[in-house]
Order: sequence, then C-alpha cells, then structure tokens
Amino acid sequence: MPRNTFCGSAAHAIDRRALLGGALAGAALASDMTALNALTAPDVSKALKTKQKRVILLWLAGGASQLETWDPKPGATTGGPFRSIQTDVPGLRISELMPKMAARMKTTCVIRGLNTKNGDHGSAALTMMRGRRDEAALRYPDLGAVVAREFGPTESKVPDYVTFYTQTEGRSMAPGASGFLGARYAPMELTTNNYPEFIKKLDGITDLDHLERGELRNVLGKGFEKGRNSDTLNSQNEAYQRVRGIMASEKLFDITQEPQKMRDRYGPTQFAEQTLIARRLVEAGVPFVRVGRAWWDSHGQNFETHQEMVPELDHVMATLLDDLGERGLLDDVMVMTLAEFGRTPSINASLGRDHFASAWSCTISGAGIKRGSVYGKSDPKGNTVVAEEVDAGSLFATVYSALGLDPHKNYYVGSRPIPLVNPGVEPIKALVG
Amino acid sequence: MRLRLLLTVVLVACAGSSARAADLPPATKTVEAVIDQLVDAAIADANVIPAAQADDATVIRRLTLDLVGRIPTSGEVDAYVKSGDSDKRAKLVDRLIASPGFVRHQAALFEIMLNPEGDRRGSGALRTYLTDALKDGKPWDVMFREMLLPNEADAKLKGAADFLRGRVSDADKLTSDVSVAFFGVNVSCAQCHNHPHVKDWTQDHFYGMKAFLARTFDNGGFLGERGYGVIKYKPTKGLERVAKMMFLTGATVEDANAKEPTAAEQKAEKEALDKAKAAKTPPPAPKFSGRAELVKIALQGQNADFFARSISNRMWHRFFGGGLVSPLDQMHAENEPTHPDLLTWLARDTAAHKYDLKRLIRGIVMSKAYSRSSQYDSENRPSNKFFAVARLKPMTPQQLSTSLKIAATDPASFDNLTPDDFEKRMEQIESSARGFASLIAQPTDNFQIGVGEALLFSNGDRVLKEMLTDGTGTVLGRLKGMKEKDAVEFLVKVAYGRPATADESKALVVYVEKRKGREADAYKQVLWALVTGTEFRFSY
Repeated sequence: MPRNTFCGSAAHAIDRRALLGGALAGAALASDMTALNALTAPDVSKALKTKQKRVILLWLAGGASQLETWDPKPGATTGGPFRSIQTDVPGLRISELMPKMAARMKTTCVIRGLNTKNGDHGSAALTMMRGRRDEAALRYPDLGAVVAREFGPTESKVPDYVTFYTQTEGRSMAPGASGFLGARYAPMELTTNNYPEFIKKLDGITDLDHLERGELRNVLGKGFEKGRNSDTLNSQNEAYQRVRGIMASEKLFDITQEPQKMRDRYGPTQFAEQTLIARRLVEAGVPFVRVGRAWWDSHGQNFETHQEMVPELDHVMATLLDDLGERGLLDDVMVMTLAEFGRTPSINASLGRDHFASAWSCTISGAGIKRGSVYGKSDPKGNTVVAEEVDAGSLFATVYSALGLDPHKNYYVGSRPIPLVNPGVEPIKALVG
Repeated sequence: MRLRLLLTVVLVACAGSSARAADLPPATKTVEAVIDQLVDAAIADANVIPAAQADDATVIRRLTLDLVGRIPTSGEVDAYVKSGDSDKRAKLVDRLIASPGFVRHQAALFEIMLNPEGDRRGSGALRTYLTDALKDGKPWDVMFREMLLPNEADAKLKGAADFLRGRVSDADKLTSDVSVAFFGVNVSCAQCHNHPHVKDWTQDHFYGMKAFLARTFDNGGFLGERGYGVIKYKPTKGLERVAKMMFLTGATVEDANAKEPTAAEQKAEKEALDKAKAAKTPPPAPKFSGRAELVKIALQGQNADFFARSISNRMWHRFFGGGLVSPLDQMHAENEPTHPDLLTWLARDTAAHKYDLKRLIRGIVMSKAYSRSSQYDSENRPSNKFFAVARLKPMTPQQLSTSLKIAATDPASFDNLTPDDFEKRMEQIESSARGFASLIAQPTDNFQIGVGEALLFSNGDRVLKEMLTDGTGTVLGRLKGMKEKDAVEFLVKVAYGRPATADESKALVVYVEKRKGREADAYKQVLWALVTGTEFRFSY
C-alpha cells in the first residue's frame, strides 16, 4: 500500500508525531503558525487523516426522545403526534422531524436497543460518557479523554479534547473528565463563549515578549532540572511547551474564518456554529470534540420541545456529515449522537415524557462503524428491548473497535491493569465486522 | 471455609510480626534515629549511594513548605542559613509545628486525604473541625472516633459529621472510603468479585465492612443509625449470603439484631425519627451501633495494626512524596512495604504514643533521610524505593498560590514584625491566595500538570493583576532605581530563596537590557519566568 510521506522519503512515512516533532525541533516556538499551516496543506492533512481517528460527539443533554428521533412508534398509544418517514436505507424509518437525516442514513448506524439502567441525569451522564460506572476509588477517563490519549500526540499543537456546553441546564452534571489519565487529557471546556479561556494573549505584553519570556522560563529551569527526575516536572514543561501552539490554534475557534457560504449551510444557531467549529477542529487534528446541546429534558410539552429541537439537530447533523464527506474525512471522523438516556414511551399528564433508560437509541456515523445499519429492536410500544440489547459497556467497546482500538487494551494505574472496557465486555460484532 | 482459611492466614501473619518485634529497634529510640537506621541499612544492603544532605536554604524551603504550606521569606532563609546554632533545625521545626500555619496547612491536607475527590472541600464544617482538632493536638484515634461517631449535639464537634454526611446516600462508597481513609485498604474491588490478585480481600471483606456502616442514614440533616438491618450479597459463586459484621482482619462482631424489623418496630422508629426531625435534633442513637462496633474493633489489639500502619504510611507519604507502601490504599500482604520493619516500628511507636501526629511528623522531618538533596548528578540514580534521593513534591494549589503571593511581596515588609504579627500577615496572605488557588488542580500520585495551568499563568489576567504589579509593598516596586544586575539577583533571591548563579544573572541582565527603556515590563517578565519555572512549582 502506498504511504503518504512528508519529506519525500519512503523510509520516512509521516505520522503526526514526526511532523510536529520535526516542526518543534526546527524553529522551536516561533514556528507554531507554520506547523499549523502545514496541517492544512492538502498532502499533509491527507497523511494525518489516514493515521488518526477523531470523534465529534453531539451530546443531547437532558435526554432526547428516541420516539421523536431514531425509533418512532407512529400509531402506538405511546407514539405521539409525529409520523415516521422512509429513509435511504431500505426498511429503516425515522421520525418525520428528521427529513434530512432520512436521506443520509447510509452514513449512519442506529442503535435502538440501549438498556443502560440509570435514569438519573448526573450519574447516567457519567456512565454514558465513560461506558461504565466509576468504582468507589477509581475514576475512569471518559470517551473524550481516552480518544485524546489514543490519538493526540504528546507534542500536540492543538488541544486534544474540546467540549462545548453553553447552556447552563445540566452542565454541571456532565463535565468532561480525564479520570485516572490525569490533567494531560483533561478537556478544554468552553462554557461561556466559543473561545477557550486564556487562549488569547493579554494586551499588556507584546507577542515577542510573550514568546521570549517563555524561553527565559526554559533557560532558568535548566540548572534546577539537572540531576532531577520527575514525570510531574516533565509534564509541567510539556504543558508550557504546548501554550504557544494552543494559542496559535485560536483561529480554529474563530468561525469568521469560514466562508460565509459554509456558515450559511450550517445555519445561524449556536449549536450549528459550535458544530462547524468542531469540524474545523477535527480537520486540524483535534482528536475529540463534544458539542453539548441542552436541554432535552421534556417532562412537559415533549412534542413542542422536540418539534423545535429535532429539526435543528437534523439539519446540523446532516450538514456535518455532508461536509465531512466532501472533505474525505468521514472514514476517519466518527460522529455520534448520545445522551444520558432517552425518554419514556408513556406520555405524562403534562404531555411530557420522563427519564427512560430501558429502550432508547443513539447513532454512530463514519469511521469504522457499519453504515446504513440498525441494531436492536424495541417492542411495538417502545417499552422494552426485544432483540439485540446493548448496554453502555458494549456500546463503548463498539465505538473503540470502530475507531480501530482494541477495547481490551490496558492502561495501568500503578501496577493494576485497567482495560478500556470492563473485563468480559465485547463489541457488537455485526457493527464493526 | 474461606473465612477460616483467611483467619489462619491473618493469625500466622500477626504471629510472624510479633515474633519479629524482638528484632525491631528498641521502642526507646527516637523516631528520627530509627528512620535513619533502617533507611540507611537498606541503602547499604543494596550498595546504593544516597544523595548528599540538602543545603540549608533547601532544607528551610522544604520544611516551611511541607509543615506550614508556603515558601519561607528571604528573611527567614537568611536567618537560618547564617545561624551557627548546631540545634537550629530542631528549633525551626519546633517553631513551625507550633505555629498556626502548621494547623491550617495540615488541616487542609487531612481534608484532601479524607475528601480526595474535591467536592465539599475548602471552607466547610469538616475543615473547621480538622483545624480545631489539630490545634488542640487531638490524637488520630480520637479524630477517627469523632468522625465515625459524631456528636452532632456538640457545636464544636459538629463538623466531624461531615465525613459521613457526604457519603450517607451511598453505603458502598461509604464502606470503600472509610476503608481507604483510615485503614489504607481499598476493598472496592471486592464488591463484585474476590480480588483477582489479593487473597486477603474477598467479597466477605467488602460486605463485612459494609455491615458496620450501612445502617447510617440521613434524618432531616442529622445523621441517624438503625439498630438493625441485614446486608445480603450474591457471591460470584454460590447462594446469596448474609454479611456478618467483619473487620478487615477477619475478626467478627456478633449482632443479634441482624434481622429485618417488625411492622410495629418500624412504626415506633418512624415516629421517633419524625419527632427528632421536627425538633431539629439528632435522632436517638441505637442501643447497638454498628459504627461504634467498628471503631471499637478497629482499635482493638492487633486489629489496630491497620489503623496505625495506615496513618504512619500516610504521614510518611506526605513528607517524602511517596509511601512506604504505595499506593496508599493498597496495604495488603501482596504489596510489601519498601521497609517492612520501619513501617512496623513506626506503627508500633505511633500507637504506643497515643497516635500523637505531631510526634510522628516531627520524627519524620528531623530524620536525615528527609533532608537529603533531590539532586543526583551521577547516572546510577537509585530507585525511589530506597528514599536515597529526595523526591519532588508538586505544591498543592494553596501552597502554590500562597507562595506566589510571598514571592511577589517586598521582603522588607516582613522585617521587624513581631512573631504574632508575622503569623497574622501570613494568614492574610494565605486567605487572599485562596481565589487563585481554586483555579489550580490538586496533585495526586503520578500527577500531571495540564496545559490549562500553563495557559492560566501565560494569559490569565489574575496573574498579571495579583502578582505582576509594581505598586508599593511589592517585590517589583522595590526594584525602582536598582541596577539591572542587582534587580534580577534580588528577584531570584526572593523567588528561589538562594543567590542567583553567575549564568542566571547574566542571562537575566541580557534579557532586561534588550528591553531598554521598558525595564518595568522586563522585570515583570523575569518574575513571571521565575515563578512559572520548575524550581518554583515543587517542594524539592
């Protein structure tokens, strides 16, 4: 198989580490922008994408209703007012609120048999971000941290894990967290606007002073570091070495850098803009971006809520998949829709649907997942899973497999091996074959 | 069957350790002498060359950071370095341990130890309790008892209840956290299956511990405890079992009330609880309290080994940056201490001296093992397990933030203060540093500093406004009128507590001279480079 190379030598097949390491060794900190520009050069970004999988997680905070999205039950007493429509995948029907995705289900796998057994926002969000419950004394890394760790090179010039969650509802219940992987893989959280905190230089210092001050810091450390040995110390220097690169990635968060035409395609909403930024980020090599969209928790007025929110999701997700496809990124970028749980088939007195974790749905598009597929079946009213049940563990094993990771790969906490998924948990073979 | 087997194992192990007791250094020796005897013996046995003793400036920096949670002022450093008193280290240690800063800093560390996840930490009632307890010199076993059997009617002790209160809704977590915090044992692996690698820990242990604790509940904001109840669990193999109250050693407590209550009993109980709730008083204590039984059995005879060894190991870890047993929650037969006799001796000494934390801490920091250099120039760097070279300990957020403020302050402003005023000044600085501290991550074992911290220091305006200003009373303000060389050497001295090297001085002067006409900016940048440097970030 021919390999893309950076410097023209076949013996020197490029990976991101080599590319960025080379850039670092070359002109040191001053070349940050150059390195980033190199990432957007066509042949380099091609080399990058064959090596590195990335994930955009559309997090439907509060719990979107499966009945108004991926698993409609028109005509059933639990079905609600919306119809279902035929998709481009024979036999697969989804809610009429999603006409755009209905024409694009060939990119996507719908998992309809989620039974995750937890209907509490906070603890369910933790489980659905990690694929398992924390042990009393062990904090697991979430999906973003694992993907950051697996696909983010140590000398990364861009953030590894970015999470947008602008609405306040439920935000504190679903924080990104790197667990035992430590601060190196902790998310960059964007909660107030679309720019990361502290990414911009203050006005009080010139760019040259900012740069040289950093170099002075390194020089001063040399004497102290001689004869001393500590991973924490190394991580501190690594963190400071990444500062200028991350600052240079500021433009990735600047949506005005996109052509107006592209912005118009995604649309003017905050969710649309953040999803477009997510596309910019993964294109530049950021391994994991979560775009949180709240608040789907429709205990009352479920149908109005979904009538308003589902078409936005439909449009943004369809645009994202088209955009990634046009850029040739869909084989390497996975797009997921997931939440802490779904919603009850039964409709309550306020015309709402409540928390429901026994038979709900999520989607996985792109990367190594079997596209145009449906896995799992709920009963005619949507109360239980009748075939191909999936729990949080096997969902995560499947996601890892579809990203080319061995779900049984171990991390070590001290000497204790901790596999990516709990022992005995297996991916869904039919979806990652 | 397994239980009997385990009991045998424990008995044999205990017999082994008491047989060895005769070989331990005598109980009459000082803590520091025994530490040095046994650490040096292991170093000699392994033919390892230890690092030299750290110099005076390093020793006072380490002691001040570790004991009272801040860097020393340059005045403190100078006085210590210049002093020819052969007893100056002991005097410094005693002064620091007697200071209010010691109580505040150690209380903060105990709070981190008890609430490692960080929720509810900081200004809550538990911190107040810990601060008062340490101030009164309460022994560790008394603190353990007060936290597990809190007397909520006593306003002064109320905060002790917070340890249980934060966990009362999750008996599994409570079981695990009590075992980790007080006994150095993490039984949570045994919740779902017998531990795959550690034969000491079976499901019986997890549920045995849970049986002591699971009767605790919340009653209108007060802790209640039922006098009955059954913990059942389904082992990985075999039929469902009822868990007996069983301590980690396998010692059990007979409990006649391990049953479900009758309807009449339930009704009577509910009435009593509602009455307490309405009166806003703690609910009545049960006649037979599982928690009281746990406290009793855990401190009884050889069962107390877990408790004594765990606190000894934790204090060792606090001051050496690594445990004699590591990780701290894995104290079991298959995870031998690096220095088994030393841990046994320290635990015995600590128990014999009524769990006096100050005695243990003082002994540790007076040892030569504690005051070795963290620098090792030759290639054959000894493994951490010998404690032959000091480890770097990343500062806690509060240590770092307080130290930054001190480094940004004109050192002359600390001169001529009475000891009382000096302490008050330090307390003010510490509390003014709290806000910035909340932006920094709490270190754990194998801590990684994230890019968030580097971005905060690089571009955060609080750093600029709170630390890099040159108003009156600041270190930058003092530089006005100084020559470049004097100014940069002054900054190094204040931040690092040592004179600048010739190379540093040269590099910094070049940096400042390149910014002719805007020296004030240059000095801010020099101070920034110093305090973001690796030399500042650690207790070394």
